[in-house]
Amino acid sequence: MKYKGRTILTSAVLAAVFIGLGVRLAFLHLRPSPGTLERIESGRHLQQETRGPRGRVLDRNGNMLAVDIAAKHICVDPKFILANGNITNVCNALSGKLGMNRSEVWNLLNQPDRRYIRIQKFTREEMAEPLRAMNLKGVIFEDVPIRDYPKGVLGAHVIGYANYEGVGSAGVEQRMNTSLQGVAGLRISQKDGRRHEIYSRRTVDIDPQSGADVYLTIDQQIQHFAEKALDNLCEKFAPNAAWAIVQNVRTGEILAMASLPTYNPNRFSTAPPEWMRNRAVNYTYEPGSTFKAMIVASALDSGAVRASDIFDCENGSWFYAGKILHDSHPEGLLSVADIIQKSSNIGAAKVALKLGEQKVYQSMRAFGFGDRTGIALPGEDAGIVWKTDRWSKLSISRIAMGHEVLVTSLQMLNAISAIANDGVRMRPQIIRKVVNSDGEIISEPQPEVLSRPIRAETAKEMRRLLERVTQPGGTATKAALAGYRVGGKTGTAQKVNLVEGGYYSSKFVSSFVGFLPVDNPAISIIVVADEPKQSGHYGGTVCAPYFKEIADQTVRYLRIPPEGFLTEYVKDIETGGSGEENGFD
Amino acid sequence: MKKRQRTGSRKAQVKIPFPMVLANFLVFIAVFGLSYVWLCSRCDTLGQEIKRMETVQRDTHRRMINEQDRWSNLLAPANLDRALKRHDLTMRLPDEQKIVRVRTGTTASVVALASSK
Repeated sequence: MKYKGRTILTSAVLAAVFIGLGVRLAFLHLRPSPGTLERIESGRHLQQETRGPRGRVLDRNGNMLAVDIAAKHICVDPKFILANGNITNVCNALSGKLGMNRSEVWNLLNQPDRRYIRIQKFTREEMAEPLRAMNLKGVIFEDVPIRDYPKGVLGAHVIGYANYEGVGSAGVEQRMNTSLQGVAGLRISQKDGRRHEIYSRRTVDIDPQSGADVYLTIDQQIQHFAEKALDNLCEKFAPNAAWAIVQNVRTGEILAMASLPTYNPNRFSTAPPEWMRNRAVNYTYEPGSTFKAMIVASALDSGAVRASDIFDCENGSWFYAGKILHDSHPEGLLSVADIIQKSSNIGAAKVALKLGEQKVYQSMRAFGFGDRTGIALPGEDAGIVWKTDRWSKLSISRIAMGHEVLVTSLQMLNAISAIANDGVRMRPQIIRKVVNSDGEIISEPQPEVLSRPIRAETAKEMRRLLERVTQPGGTATKAALAGYRVGGKTGTAQKVNLVEGGYYSSKFVSSFVGFLPVDNPAISIIVVADEPKQSGHYGGTVCAPYFKEIADQTVRYLRIPPEGFLTEYVKDIETGGSGEENGFD
Repeated sequence: MKKRQRTGSRKAQVKIPFPMVLANFLVFIAVFGLSYVWLCSRCDTLGQEIKRMETVQRDTHRRMINEQDRWSNLLAPANLDRALKRHDLTMRLPDEQKIVRVRTGTTASVVALASSK
């Protein structure tokens, strides 16, 4: 045979190769070394940890305020793209669809040594989808959850935000982080040569559990009323900041809590820290005249004074403990009821003196000043109420008009709510319920009584006195609401000059706190403006109109009937008259 | 002739010795093997189907959440206000005099009172 030698040689080589492979195969299968076995196992091992989606945040009616949605990291493999000569095509597509600078994308792609670069993080699906449909080779889409706040700025300070790692970093997101965060799932399996999971080799498969849904006591509609009113306030009076709270006086539930300036939690990283501040719970200020309501309530409750008692208001200038105390509007003799209506500093100081230092201090504490209310929001301030041993002789006269104490607007609102709620102070609540992923309620806070600073009869009398504030002759006629009897108190406090001491003559914190309807109060509202710069600075001018704006929309939204409408109707039927006369057509 | 016949019948009587037990065993092994292979392939098919459906379910859930989110965004009070403004619609709450209020709990007593007159 002509090629016999070659044939034998080739056969021998082939035989040697196959024998070698066979031996290797036999060794691998029959007696693999521990190292080899480990290498094989680790190559086939598949362990996936899947993050459980974060629970949702919803308002009291189930409207979604925060939710985890699917997004994409858009990544590229520059080496692969360059090797395929596809850089121009990919560059054009990425820059066009993602709105990125073309040269920037080109520079990122033009790196032949790199196998992985993230072009854009947390891209929303609607942006990523057209790009994915183009089926570009070398462009990778990584699934990643992103926290979304579909209502934008609505309730931003209450809801807060979760950072890019999915950890709550402000507001309810932070406070309820443990409940909201999901439980990670685990899957242990094996993968084939194409890195696909071999389903039949799946040994562990624990589904991720999504976090619990947190329902707030906030109502998105009332929240919107409050935010819109604050927008209007800021437009007219240009304060540094303004904030408002709406509370259900019977249960303590917070129906709205708005603060300006605000931010969009979807873009939390671009907001200055000052914008993220929830001033409703962490801004303390000297409340000014709104504080008189609590002093007079305590004086009436203890029997130190009666509503009809007359005090000399010294025509607006009273020398006490070495200093002169002024009234903004000079008054002569005023009853206790008028002291509240006219907001006389001198009158309030004299009422406080009748009450005595210890009782003034005790009443402040009973109304909750100096203590955190315990609302489920981070960073709540307790305010400052000094003990009587740190008071000067002047202190009692200044505390009576809301100086020398620091309060938060939530404390102030809660105190006025106590008066509205027959003297019972409730814990302000922001969490309505927590529901796990199976739909079971795991927590549902119940209304909680914090204290009873005054008796029910005193509270009723105080409501009558506070109603006069919004009636002609009072300081807050602009808070009056047609069809409803409104009670409340204005406050205009000069700001403390921390640099030079004393008070600024032209910097004020204006506020109005009130409730309605007076006979059977349902809601209380506080509106505060920090340093209004134009068109006025009195609480009755700056805040009362926006109290009215919020109240007007809220009572209709909540269908709170005007006081006495049914009585009128019944009376009408009894007298045989027509309902039309009273407008009930 | 006779002899030939005898030889032929002897030849016809010769059989290849094949034990029936072995035959049955082989058949059994073959059936078992084939069943095993068929079950394996069936498992793999089902596994792939489950994987595919898992992916579909995940995608559908993701799409549902994203749509809910978009819907929720559309229903934001501020966006509704903007939409109304865009269409030049002004909505405001009716005046107090224009509201008819009927309180369910007390309607009966009012009606009873009226009918007793």
